[in-house]
Amino acid sequence: MSAGPYNYSYIFKYIIIGDMGVGKSCLLHQFTEKKFMSDCPHTIGVEFGTRIIEVAGKKIKLQIWDTAGQERFRAVTRSYYRGAAGALMVYDITRRSTYNHLSSWLTDTRNLTNPNTVIFLIGNKCDLEGQRDVTYEEAKQFADENGLMFVEASAKTGQNVEEAFLETARKIYQSIQDGRLDLYAADSGVQHKPSQPGRNTLTNDQQSNKDNCAC
Amino acid sequence: MDTSDSEHFESADEEFNSDTEDKNVKTKTISDTSETLKLKEMTISEESINVSNVKEVSTVNVVSNDNSCHDLKRKNVKPVVRNPTADKSDKRSKPGKLKLGVKLGTKITSTSCNAIKCDDVEDSKLKSNYDNKTSSSSKTNIDDNHKTCISALKDIKNEENLQKLDKREEIVLDEESNMWADDEWEPISSTDNKLTNKETNETNKTVQNNFSSGWGGWGNWDVTSLLSTATMGVTTITNHVSQGLTTVLESGIGVPDPEELARLNKMEGKSKESIEVDEEEEEKKEVDSKNNKSGVPDLTFGLGSFVSGVSQITKLVESTGNKVISSGLDTLETIGKKTMEVLQEGDPGLKKKRAFLKIDADKPVLSHILREAKEKAEQENRLAEEKHVSKKANYETLFDDHQGLAHLEALEMLSRQCDIKLKTLLESHSGADLIEMQETLSQIKELCELTDEDEDEKEELDESEIKEKIETAVTELNVSISYNKLMSTWKDISHWLENLDLNLYSAAQLHEESINILAQLTAVAVELFHKTGELLLIKEHRSTVDEADSLVQLTTTMTTLISDIAKKASNKLNEKATQSGSKDNVNQFITNVYFEATNSSSYIKNAFELLIPVLQVGAV
Repeated sequence: MSAGPYNYSYIFKYIIIGDMGVGKSCLLHQFTEKKFMSDCPHTIGVEFGTRIIEVAGKKIKLQIWDTAGQERFRAVTRSYYRGAAGALMVYDITRRSTYNHLSSWLTDTRNLTNPNTVIFLIGNKCDLEGQRDVTYEEAKQFADENGLMFVEASAKTGQNVEEAFLETARKIYQSIQDGRLDLYAADSGVQHKPSQPGRNTLTNDQQSNKDNCAC
Repeated sequence: MDTSDSEHFESADEEFNSDTEDKNVKTKTISDTSETLKLKEMTISEESINVSNVKEVSTVNVVSNDNSCHDLKRKNVKPVVRNPTADKSDKRSKPGKLKLGVKLGTKITSTSCNAIKCDDVEDSKLKSNYDNKTSSSSKTNIDDNHKTCISALKDIKNEENLQKLDKREEIVLDEESNMWADDEWEPISSTDNKLTNKETNETNKTVQNNFSSGWGGWGNWDVTSLLSTATMGVTTITNHVSQGLTTVLESGIGVPDPEELARLNKMEGKSKESIEVDEEEEEKKEVDSKNNKSGVPDLTFGLGSFVSGVSQITKLVESTGNKVISSGLDTLETIGKKTMEVLQEGDPGLKKKRAFLKIDADKPVLSHILREAKEKAEQENRLAEEKHVSKKANYETLFDDHQGLAHLEALEMLSRQCDIKLKTLLESHSGADLIEMQETLSQIKELCELTDEDEDEKEELDESEIKEKIETAVTELNVSISYNKLMSTWKDISHWLENLDLNLYSAAQLHEESINILAQLTAVAVELFHKTGELLLIKEHRSTVDEADSLVQLTTTMTTLISDIAKKASNKLNEKATQSGSKDNVNQFITNVYFEATNSSSYIKNAFELLIPVLQVGAV
């Protein structure tokens, strides 16, 4: 649980979304604990995981929001997209319905996050090749058409799990380097550690704005 | 029509001028009818550009205010308006910031509001009004425009041709007169090198002659067709420009997109092209009409000069129009860019402003404060580590390590979402419904008032009693959540504290552990409240009163647990102090433990308060 050394430079907020049972929590568990959870309970609302990674020599803390896939939580989980720097959109390669729902998940993500949010499509359970219901090619095409990064992964074997999380972080980091991502914006999903001039002023600004608007 | 008629003409004119003086007042009234405005949003921007097209100065008006336009006009800086405009918008935008955007919006909408009004006037009224308006506009407008108005004047005299006039043209003229009806009755400006003052006066006279003697028939068709072609030209251009402006406005409201600006640039190019095309067509037609005219017998003195005057005027209108439009377009672009710049100053992506419009943050967000505190402490720790000093326990860091911060943040998001929902609901109600709803909401708030009397009444906590209390409360909540985690965490902590071997820990270590367990217990409490909030929101049949009641119970129980842990921990510290004899140091630790325990309680209470909107949403 303990996050260990605190000398990281950035915090990135990730959100994991996708239908129920596609293995979102297992992917998170595999990434944070490097273990496979065979009997994973339904997530209530949202759960959290953290891990510190390194990109281009910089330590980055990933704050991962693992959302509930159940339809009944959809309205609740929609509240959590805001401020995500990365979105991992997961489907199950053995269940076509989870693939068919991707466009709905994508719409939510696009509507509720900022334009620079990196969206990574993950086809989970790729260890179950025999039960495959969605081909790699069609998913790859969907990803390309929508400008998403894509990989097939397995939370069970751990295949490509690290890659998906790290690749997303690299892309976000690149956005910061390119100046596309504004660190001080409230919903950039990125927090810069050493100094944070944006944080204090945010609250102050909002308050003063409110005062001015007594009309 | 004789003298009485022209007198009427004059008086109406004056009336109109005075009307214009009241324009500001009018504008205010007009902007009140914002609903109409919304409906006609597209028309608005279109028409307002009409105004700015006919005269470049009016474009300036869109940016700044009437006075500046008048100034510009008086100085006759017509062809070089572009730079002053940019400068003006520059200067004005700096102090105004947000206001400029608003100003820009209202200016555009309010002026065009007049246009809409005019649009609504019945045809018969229009006709009579038109005389006045046109005359006043011809009085006040600059040269080229003036001539357009003259031809329009002539046109009016012929009822059969009246219908041919584009309404839009009328609006343009009306707008013009509204804005420019000042004292200048000088029809020709000094920059006009093609027509002399004399000529225009002559033309003017001709028109008035024509007007008073009631000569209906001559050359109307030609003039009309000229006019309508000109109108069409202007309209096409206007459409382009208004599209441009709409883009600016839209992008101003929404996400600032560089694409938009690129598109605007493109659009500018396009409209320039179309202007050129229009101009060519215009010239062709002009020649045609000239040819036709040559066949018309010279009926009156001055007719010939009038005819040639008209064609020259049209040419002038076109060429000036070109300049006007291109500079106007540039101006619009500058306005758009500048507005966005100003709006986004220190607020990239308008995020704060948009967030502000949605949610009013009447209190600082706790998770932010905690995060800040945590980061500050971590930085201090880093420095300390460098100096090989042992790390100091920091509550916020530990709280975050136990995911308390994440849950608190999520709970805040949930709470905010409910707040927005409630506000929307309140806005959709009115009258008795609204009052009833407000009452319901405040009743719930009252139910959630915490009493902090019984916090330190008991010496020793009865475990089974606490357990029962929690279980009853959770049952009342009627959601599938277990507060076992709270109980087990508390039990583990208590157990650890009770069986602590003081010899294994230094006072500092004991202090650190105490802070850690407080942070842990608080994190668990916040997590459970967060989960409760989520589950309440998806619960089908809400029973707000019970929910509020049990949450109050849970909150007080949690704070009781916190103070219990704090008490136990400080007891241990005291023991350690007597054992080691370093009293001073330990006293400071104990104070700190109690301090963090108070913090823990207030975080828990804060988390509970975040649940109030969740409860309220369930009741309305």
